[in-house]
Amino acid sequence: MSSSHDTHAAHGAASTHGAHAEKKSLRLTLHVWRQRDPNAEGKFATYKLDDVSPDMSFLEMLDVLNERLIAGGEEAIAFDHDCREGICGACSLTINGQPHGFERETTTCQIHMRRFEDGQTIYIEPFRANAFPVVKDLVVDRSAFDRIIAAGGFITARAGSAPDANALPIPQVAADAAMDAAACIGCGACVASCKNASAMLFVSAKVSHLALLPQGQAERNSRVLAMVEQMDKEGFGNCTNESECEAACPKGISVSNIARLNREYLRALASSD
Amino acid sequence: MSVTGLLLIGFLVVHLAGNLQLFSDDTGEHFNAYAEKLKSFGPLLYVAEFGLLALFVAHLALGLRVTFENRAARSQRYALDRDRGARSFASSTMVVTGVIVLVFVIVHLLDFRLREMSPDGLAAMVVRRLSEPAGALIYIVGVGALGIHLSHAFRSAMQTLGLNNTRYDVPIARAGKAVAIVLGVGFALFPLVYFSGAKHSTHSASVRAAVPSTQQRSLADEAVSSRASFESSSSGHSEEQR
Amino acid sequence: MSTPTATATNSKLDSKCPSGPLADRWEKHRFDLKLVNPANRRKFHVLVVGTGLAGASAASSLAELGYSVSAFCIQDSPRRAHSIAAQGGINAAKNYQNDGDSVHRLFYDTIKGGDFRARESNVHRLAEVSVNIIDQCVALGVPFAREYGGLLANRSFGGAQVSRTFYARGQTGQQLLLGAYSGLMRQVGEGKVKLYARHEMLDLVVIDGIARGIVCRNLITGEIKSYAGDAVLLCTGGYGNVFYLSTNAKACNVTAAWRAHKRGALFANPCYTQIHPTCIPVSGSHQSKLTLMSESLRNDGRVWVPKAGDESRSPDQVPDEERDYYLERKYPSFGNLSPRDISSRAAKQVCDEGRGVGGSKMSVYLDFRDAIVRDGVDAIRARYGNLFQMYERITGEDPYRVPMRIYPAVHYTMGGVWVDYNLESTIPGLFVLGEANFSDHGANRLGASALMQGLADGYFVIPYTIASHLAGRKFGKVTAEHAEFRRVEQEVRERIERLKNASGKRSPDSFHRELGLLMWDKCGMARNAGGLRQAIGRVRELREQYWQDVKIPGDAANLNNALEHAGRVADFFELAELMCMDALDRNESCGGHFREEFQTPDGEAKRDDANYCYAGAWEVDASASSLAWKLHKEPLVFENVKLAERSYK
Repeated sequence: MSSSHDTHAAHGAASTHGAHAEKKSLRLTLHVWRQRDPNAEGKFATYKLDDVSPDMSFLEMLDVLNERLIAGGEEAIAFDHDCREGICGACSLTINGQPHGFERETTTCQIHMRRFEDGQTIYIEPFRANAFPVVKDLVVDRSAFDRIIAAGGFITARAGSAPDANALPIPQVAADAAMDAAACIGCGACVASCKNASAMLFVSAKVSHLALLPQGQAERNSRVLAMVEQMDKEGFGNCTNESECEAACPKGISVSNIARLNREYLRALASSD
Repeated sequence: MSVTGLLLIGFLVVHLAGNLQLFSDDTGEHFNAYAEKLKSFGPLLYVAEFGLLALFVAHLALGLRVTFENRAARSQRYALDRDRGARSFASSTMVVTGVIVLVFVIVHLLDFRLREMSPDGLAAMVVRRLSEPAGALIYIVGVGALGIHLSHAFRSAMQTLGLNNTRYDVPIARAGKAVAIVLGVGFALFPLVYFSGAKHSTHSASVRAAVPSTQQRSLADEAVSSRASFESSSSGHSEEQR
Repeated sequence: MSTPTATATNSKLDSKCPSGPLADRWEKHRFDLKLVNPANRRKFHVLVVGTGLAGASAASSLAELGYSVSAFCIQDSPRRAHSIAAQGGINAAKNYQNDGDSVHRLFYDTIKGGDFRARESNVHRLAEVSVNIIDQCVALGVPFAREYGGLLANRSFGGAQVSRTFYARGQTGQQLLLGAYSGLMRQVGEGKVKLYARHEMLDLVVIDGIARGIVCRNLITGEIKSYAGDAVLLCTGGYGNVFYLSTNAKACNVTAAWRAHKRGALFANPCYTQIHPTCIPVSGSHQSKLTLMSESLRNDGRVWVPKAGDESRSPDQVPDEERDYYLERKYPSFGNLSPRDISSRAAKQVCDEGRGVGGSKMSVYLDFRDAIVRDGVDAIRARYGNLFQMYERITGEDPYRVPMRIYPAVHYTMGGVWVDYNLESTIPGLFVLGEANFSDHGANRLGASALMQGLADGYFVIPYTIASHLAGRKFGKVTAEHAEFRRVEQEVRERIERLKNASGKRSPDSFHRELGLLMWDKCGMARNAGGLRQAIGRVRELREQYWQDVKIPGDAANLNNALEHAGRVADFFELAELMCMDALDRNESCGGHFREEFQTPDGEAKRDDANYCYAGAWEVDASASSLAWKLHKEPLVFENVKLAERSYK
């Protein structure tokens, strides 16, 4: 996969001046997971596309396929997507066995077809985890993440009660570290890529973000206990520290957050009343 | 798992240190004396052994639970499943290496702990066993699996205990590798040496005769054991296994 | 109440703006507003539609106050609302930089930036509460950028002459939304907000003239269900996707606001559309949306096109004397940093002259060559590394070696549902917040002001002004069993059936693309009367055709993206006509509305304050046999600023 990546990057750079006509279209075979509803049996359906522009994004390629399906009276493939800028976290898809595909720190919506080879076969599956049940085709239910946040992923601050924003200086290093963790887009690729379907990276990013800031101290212990408890309730697996989540994370969230989560958890256990 | 795992690593370190006494003389006297000294703890030894067994069983039980929970977290597998190169051979085979180590430990206990002591001493028993091709193979495979298991285990345990962070990650990862190599290679030395015939304990010295000469070392051992009860139990157990 | 013809009347439009000195108005108004007794609040049920910055902040602060709240969003999680994509920052008149900023200056900049087409009272209130927003966000844990000493960092943004923009890397919108979302989820966890994700509001229910609830479709099961309440808050964002291609997220739509409009809420200034100058150009007919490149790139990049129209050399082969750095040439004092509307129009102009670059000839260069020579490639990488990487990922071109290509794209819509000072629409009990309303940005929005407005409305305006309705009017309880709910539900079902049963051949998406192209062409960056008339005719034809020829496979009782989209496209078709009518009515150029007939000799926008200093609010003419509107004018009174020409020369 990485070799095709390189050749196509070179190809892209060579055809710089917007001379789109020079770029050859791609022929692709897609095996796409189709599943009518959560209770239905799913299976792969095979589609062939023979004129995929290398300038298309991956989702635009699916748009084109969907247009054809609709024209032929078939139901379009359902997939989640929204901003198509890599920030909302709606898009998912496991592409050839890898959540968000093979490019590092890239969401599915930001993958472009020039990274694929002519004649390639692509498997497209939903994110798979029991805590993320399939809703339809490639759409999964990630509301478990919302429930984890509702359990404790916040700082209690009523509108109107906040002190002046500069009343509490926060060292730049702490602010930056909090921002690194806060960059999580909640897409769930960490869960999807983890062999154990563990949500530790997601939970640890939120816990870290808030634990690193002075504003987050008051609820520091109760937060981590409540979030971990909810995480366990949702049926995610356990972390076995293989770091696949970090490698799959489109925002490059570090597993050092998981160590921090563990630390925060032990600390909270030790100090809880 | 991390706590039981790290304690078991602690035991292994002491165990290896004890075993190295096999190399400290040609007769095996030191080693046999060390074994006798541990035996002399009497009922305390059984307590320690029981503790070690509990630790091992707990590690096993937690491992089983984690494995089953993790399997249950994804009942529908991917049709095509590719990782992104973050997981290592060791990390992806923890269950396999764990099972190999379990089988190995049982064999090991049958060999040296649950069998009647040979009149020519424990050292001689060890040498005989490790000189056989089957024995050497079992021991090499067993400790090899252990080494692989440990190469993920140490860093993983540090991560789980929250002792890792971006600054310590590289040193901890290196320490993990070092632990795996020292223990893996360290234990592998015995079958390698005895099977290849590089060192033979030809005459079995009288075990009793050795006791006074090792008194000093035993005192040192006691000092270690009083610091960490589990470690003391470990060292006790280690000897009994021979 | 309304005149039968499309002539002006303002009888419907009571802005309820307080009088007196500008700076005291909000304070005075808050005192005059009734309060709801804390013990009674939980008896009032507020329906909040949309969970972006405005919706999430409103829902959480109303729940904090003790109201019983239900929140609805079409996304799978409130955290994914499109506020998340805002990059640049959020303005606030904190004056932390001691550079002369003040509430009054932010007020003035916003009024001027909006080309004097917004209400003074509203804009001043926005500037006043801007300072509280930053406090609130920091308290919620938003990791704003900081200086070494730990104090908050600011930057100057969008041509402002003071540094008042707070930011969190290039992800300010994301961080603000996650802050508001966490507050909302806390209330959900405590049971004070009931959350309905993947629910789309498809109609508004008005009983005895008061908004009493909504009808939603559960996007997973297709179930049509009513929700009754005592007030409805629309926080549903803008309608930029009427152009098909825009920087908006794919799900952004006008349906909730439009359904409210069809039920009687007036829709104001629909023609005010903001076009952002620095977007990645269209690469082909497959293009599904446009990606914004941060405006900050214009700090170091120089915008140019070849002087000659038939240039075929690669950009590095074009010598400087054959390049036209047109922004620097036309606007020497602001140069490449000229405001959004001006830069956008200038790009369109050179492309229309045939001097555009790229395969489609519909883009201009944004060249970092000189900046790289001046500051070194490492400095440029440190500043823009992420953006360059994103550009390369999308286009396959390396901006360190080849100039970026950019083109303007629809970004934000200033128009929206007409609201008074209380953010209440012309339907009592229906409040509209954030981009969905028309209120604060006039004809053009300044950079970093959208986030400010969304949060101002949700955290610091609606918690007070909602009481004007809840405590100020007498109305009984209704439940979703009321006959009117049944009737509206039935209408919603019939509409879905009609779409579903159209035995056509074309997908909703193909119609949407066609509509978008038409709108971009005739009602985009530059408009003229002839083109707008043509567009109105064509929109009507297409709309007719749409209901006949659309095709939606699949099932209405299941997740069906095509069906969802079809309903939204149907509403875009109606809105498109109104946008063109509004643009046709406004015989002047101002902000995001540029009429080619009304420009100065050197091609700048020419306002007509004598005749068009009003907000144009359109009412659906219920008496007409087909879709028609009546225009109401709310005169804009400027007592505190002097109307001046916006000059950036």
